Amino acid sequence: MKLTYRFAAVAALIATPMPAFAATINAVMYKNPSCSCCETYAAYLEQNGFKVDIKPTNDLSQISAGLGVPANLEGCHSVVVGGYVVDGFVPVDLIKKMLAEHPAITGIAMAGMPMGTPGMGGQKTESWKIYAFTKDGKAPTVYATE
Amino acid sequence: MNYDFHYTMSRRRFLAAVAGAAVSASMRPGRASAVDERLIKVAPGQARFTGPDGPATSVWAYNGTVPGPTLRLRQGQPVRITVENGLDEDTTVHWHGIRLPNAMDGVPGLTQSPIGPGQSFVYEFTPPDAGTFWYHPHADSLVQIGRGLAGPLIVEEAELVAVDRDLVWLLQDWRLASDGQIAGGFGSAMDASMSGRVGNLVTINGTVPADQGVRAGERVRLRLANASLARMMALRFEGHRPVIVAVDGQPCEPHEPEDGRLVLAPAMRIDIMLDMQGDPGSHYQVIDDFYDGLAYTLTTLAYDSAPPLRGHPLDAPVGLPRNPLPEPDLAGAEHQEIVLQGGMMGGGKLKGVGGMMGMGMMGMGMNGGAAWAINGMSMTGDGQAGMAPQFTLKRGVTCHLTMRNETAWWHPMHVHGFSLSVISRNGAPVPHRQWQDTVLMAPKDTIECAFVADNPGDWMLHCHVADHQMAGLMTVFRVT
Repeated sequence: MKLTYRFAAVAALIATPMPAFAATINAVMYKNPSCSCCETYAAYLEQNGFKVDIKPTNDLSQISAGLGVPANLEGCHSVVVGGYVVDGFVPVDLIKKMLAEHPAITGIAMAGMPMGTPGMGGQKTESWKIYAFTKDGKAPTVYATE
Repeated sequence: MNYDFHYTMSRRRFLAAVAGAAVSASMRPGRASAVDERLIKVAPGQARFTGPDGPATSVWAYNGTVPGPTLRLRQGQPVRITVENGLDEDTTVHWHGIRLPNAMDGVPGLTQSPIGPGQSFVYEFTPPDAGTFWYHPHADSLVQIGRGLAGPLIVEEAELVAVDRDLVWLLQDWRLASDGQIAGGFGSAMDASMSGRVGNLVTINGTVPADQGVRAGERVRLRLANASLARMMALRFEGHRPVIVAVDGQPCEPHEPEDGRLVLAPAMRIDIMLDMQGDPGSHYQVIDDFYDGLAYTLTTLAYDSAPPLRGHPLDAPVGLPRNPLPEPDLAGAEHQEIVLQGGMMGGGKLKGVGGMMGMGMMGMGMNGGAAWAINGMSMTGDGQAGMAPQFTLKRGVTCHLTMRNETAWWHPMHVHGFSLSVISRNGAPVPHRQWQDTVLMAPKDTIECAFVADNPGDWMLHCHVADHQMAGLMTVFRVT
């Protein structure tokens, strides 16, 4: 199922002249119903060419775990986009990079809620590590440092 | 309801059973007196949430049932309750909302030694207040309540209240895995630092609610008790006008809830009077719409086709007799303040763990660590010996307590041993003479309340979202 999505995403990217024609990228966000920072992040994604379908759920930890997010990287929302999982306040450039390069990973996650990230606001006070994770039980690796 | 009950007899438990027999024997003389004798056995068991033919879920149970048996006591009559522990871990029982001697309050380490596996403990108290209460463990609370340990405790008024039926809905919220068993992962960092372990199945009195049969024209006193670990509820009774007559067991001025929603946080109770004024044969939904976008139908009121019991609603007043609560003296009160801090989006106010921002959940609430604090201090777990009191009150003084929620999350704050007269919320007076032992605080809320410190001992004050309590949202005060 996921592979199908991934190929579809790749096909769409190949078929689409980049980046002049900014097609809408559909994303589904699973979030804790009581958390407001997720909505700020969803709005940020929407401003950057995504269409976000927000699904509040009280089962977030089970959903995130089912999507393959390692327990110590789980945030207050998980986004499914183009067959990948994005957890936490990952900057949009990195998501687009992942969708374009289609690496063999399950998804990427930013641990914690650092100041300055989309969703938290404020000033950036430290470097952020974004991790790539897979479902094969291997430890997450650093995907990018911002 | 149908429950299997399995109990494997180990040597240790065999000894416990012998000890239990001795306890029973020693109780016999007590029966001759006015003391009400009860026995509660705590042990693993099984529940069938969808009815007798449904799948069995392994639970922990009081006397083999989920929820535990309804204890109906009489106001002012002494009771002696023997609790036998058939679990493989320590337990205690907290008689939630009952004003009782400190040694009977059921907090391990603080008010009693925990009841070890195979051991028993005798709780003795005389309930001063009539109303709706409940009982639950205060040891390994998150796991023990989450696996089913909870039961209703009703203290009956000295004089009968005029209703056609007196019903209890003990609401429990279960997080089940796909195999129908209780999911593991208790105390995950995400649950601890956000909204707690909200589940995916709500039961009324231990079963997934089918229709509730009602009769046109009848008046029902419905006692709602939220025994969930973390799930907040906001119940609407379609086509009906419930009248709140008591909150947390304490009668208030009868009133209809704002917007018709009964907001019931974990550990809270609300007694309502429901005049069934629908037509015979009609159906009305009971909806829980607390969480945005996640409303669901809890159950349905299904009217019998029989003609109405009476032509007009019952004439009798719906108000309940007041309980003997000591009236606070605000003019001479001693002021104390507690501030709730931490959690996700917590603003870095949590001392000792380096603040929240920038570390997120990687260090919060993990492995019993702190995610929350009260006045900068995180007391984690369920209670233990040597917990230093946050403040000390001289016996008899009125305490004017301000509670400020600096967090981005909801917290039902529970005080042991006392009922709080709730004065104001965010500066606006709280009407209807409300007394509560569990006060729900919305994000950023400030509550003013008061109580007379008439009961000596070390008492807990904590959030009743079990994950939050375990991860630091707890404090202790002393009455000398």
